[in-house]
Amino acid sequence: MQIEENIRVAFNGLVEHKVRSFLTMLGIIFGVASVIAMLSIGEGAKREAIKKYQQLGVNNIIVRDKDLSDQELENVRAKFSNGLSLKDVESIRNIVPQIDKISPQAEKASEVKYEDKSLKANLIGVTPEYDEILNYKMESGSFINNDQYQRQLKVCVIGSEVASKFFKLGDPIGQSIKIDDQWLEVIGVLQSKALFTETVGELASRDLNSDIYVPLSTFHGRFDKEKQLASELKQITIKVEDSKNISKAAKLIENIVSRHHFDNDDFSIIIPVELLKQEEKERRIYNILLGSIAAISLLVGGIGIMNIMLATVMERTREIGIRRAIGAKRDAILSQFITESLTLSITGGIIGVLLGLSLSISISFFTEITTSVTLYSVLIAFLFSVIVGVTFGYLPAKKAANLRPIESIRYE
Amino acid sequence: MLIEIKDLRKKYIMGDIEVEALRGVNLNIQQNEFVSIMGPSGSGKSTLMNILGCLDNPSSGQYIFDSVDVSLLNDDELSEIRNQKIGFIFQTFNLLPKLSALQNVELPLIYAGYDKHERREIAREALDKMGLSSRADHKPNELSGGQRQRVAIARALATKPGIILADEPTGNLDSKTGNEIMALFRELNEEGNTIILITHEPEIAEYADRAIIIKDGLIISDKPTSGNTAEVLSENSLTS
Repeated sequence: MQIEENIRVAFNGLVEHKVRSFLTMLGIIFGVASVIAMLSIGEGAKREAIKKYQQLGVNNIIVRDKDLSDQELENVRAKFSNGLSLKDVESIRNIVPQIDKISPQAEKASEVKYEDKSLKANLIGVTPEYDEILNYKMESGSFINNDQYQRQLKVCVIGSEVASKFFKLGDPIGQSIKIDDQWLEVIGVLQSKALFTETVGELASRDLNSDIYVPLSTFHGRFDKEKQLASELKQITIKVEDSKNISKAAKLIENIVSRHHFDNDDFSIIIPVELLKQEEKERRIYNILLGSIAAISLLVGGIGIMNIMLATVMERTREIGIRRAIGAKRDAILSQFITESLTLSITGGIIGVLLGLSLSISISFFTEITTSVTLYSVLIAFLFSVIVGVTFGYLPAKKAANLRPIESIRYE
Repeated sequence: MLIEIKDLRKKYIMGDIEVEALRGVNLNIQQNEFVSIMGPSGSGKSTLMNILGCLDNPSSGQYIFDSVDVSLLNDDELSEIRNQKIGFIFQTFNLLPKLSALQNVELPLIYAGYDKHERREIAREALDKMGLSSRADHKPNELSGGQRQRVAIARALATKPGIILADEPTGNLDSKTGNEIMALFRELNEEGNTIILITHEPEIAEYADRAIIIKDGLIISDKPTSGNTAEVLSENSLTS
């Protein structure tokens, strides 16, 4: 019951000295707001990264043919490397024990036409396992099946962007589109995927929604190579059964492919999960740095509270004396003043949380930065303001509690 | 015996000089007495009052209050005694300016641990008794001096302490109001409260049954008053 009374007294005091209380709370407000905004930027970046790497597959190893200039390509070929090929795929499949699935892919930039519309798209030759490895979700229709692959059928699965550009109204399934000089039947449309805005390792940023997938056999059988010397495959995606084995498998794969390519440096290995870990490590350092800056603001806020509480205790010496004379114990006075500093810091904390939330929303609204406020960050910031209130309120409250009643009651 | 004091001494250090405010006071006060303590300023009467009220500790000597040796008590226990057994009344009223009359009266009840409902009821009753029910929600600065002192008396009585320590209770009041307040003390004494009154005005001291005079830290006189209190009261026609 005394707690209720303490809170009431504290709030009355806060309302009575509005300007003073507000100025006192500013440090906490900015501290909490910056902690929340900072953590929301960190969290946003983390989510973006996870989304990005999930798209690449967390259990996947990607072997990618390097983008080489014509001159480099000639040099490599002269040194007996034919670039990534189905032979590499066979070797990996036969030698590496940890493999769950493996999918080769070939790529070329193509001109696609439908009725009077045309656009540039990436034509990608894949095997039927491809969508399982990368967890592709279908918007409609189905992905390339084994039969279509075996028979080199002229079918294709289109990305959402292609679908929306060509088939604004009608159903794309069953329609024929012209890719380079071939007519292919659309058998499926993929769900829209997040844009790749950054380059990941050797994977240049591109819009996956503009991709068109055809059976690899069709790709090789019916389309011209992009360049005379181009490799048979652009990429091999390997899904490992257990993510624990991923680096072991990657090492083995690198050895196999390297041997096949006569030690030419014409391919690279990308392990999305390792890149994710690396990025997280960098981000953690960045977060700690920003967190320390925000913590300094909270510290300064705490000192502000201590300062004002010391002044309040002086101001209210007589009140303390009266309360003590009519029976308040030291602890009662201590808890009264701690309640007051807590009221200041918690009110500041709540305002800070609100400011932090709006800051984080504004950041994602006005800039390209993605932010995400988690309950955890709000709790952390709030907890911090409580700790500041207790820590910096303790000294003044202790001082109040230790005032001698007889002297303080006569204090003018 | 409610109060037993033996060879009570109190020393202060002021700068380099040691001042002995009380130099061996012996005093017994019984339940339901109405005692006044008079003396010029600097005589040690306020020091005595503070020790009697458990606001201060003696340097030496013994103070037994309600069969408890006060010098053996810690700060919390002293606070409890002040809260439960002693009602203070001050010259300057010492009400909390931001609280209403009712809230001021509730204060000791908060520290006594009463719940909100109970303490509100007790505080209202106490204000009623002082004839202030209509002023319950007023702040002290909206009340007259006499009303303020009545609020202070209501606060002192809230926990039914049995003993009231009044330090110059009429010092800030005009004589008419002062007499009203003294009549009130008389009444409270008749209801069974022990009252110890500190004053420097002999006519105020006359309201008590026993007058103690203190000078230079020693009691120099301790005897019953002339007994004309009843006359004083009727002159002011306040016995209603």
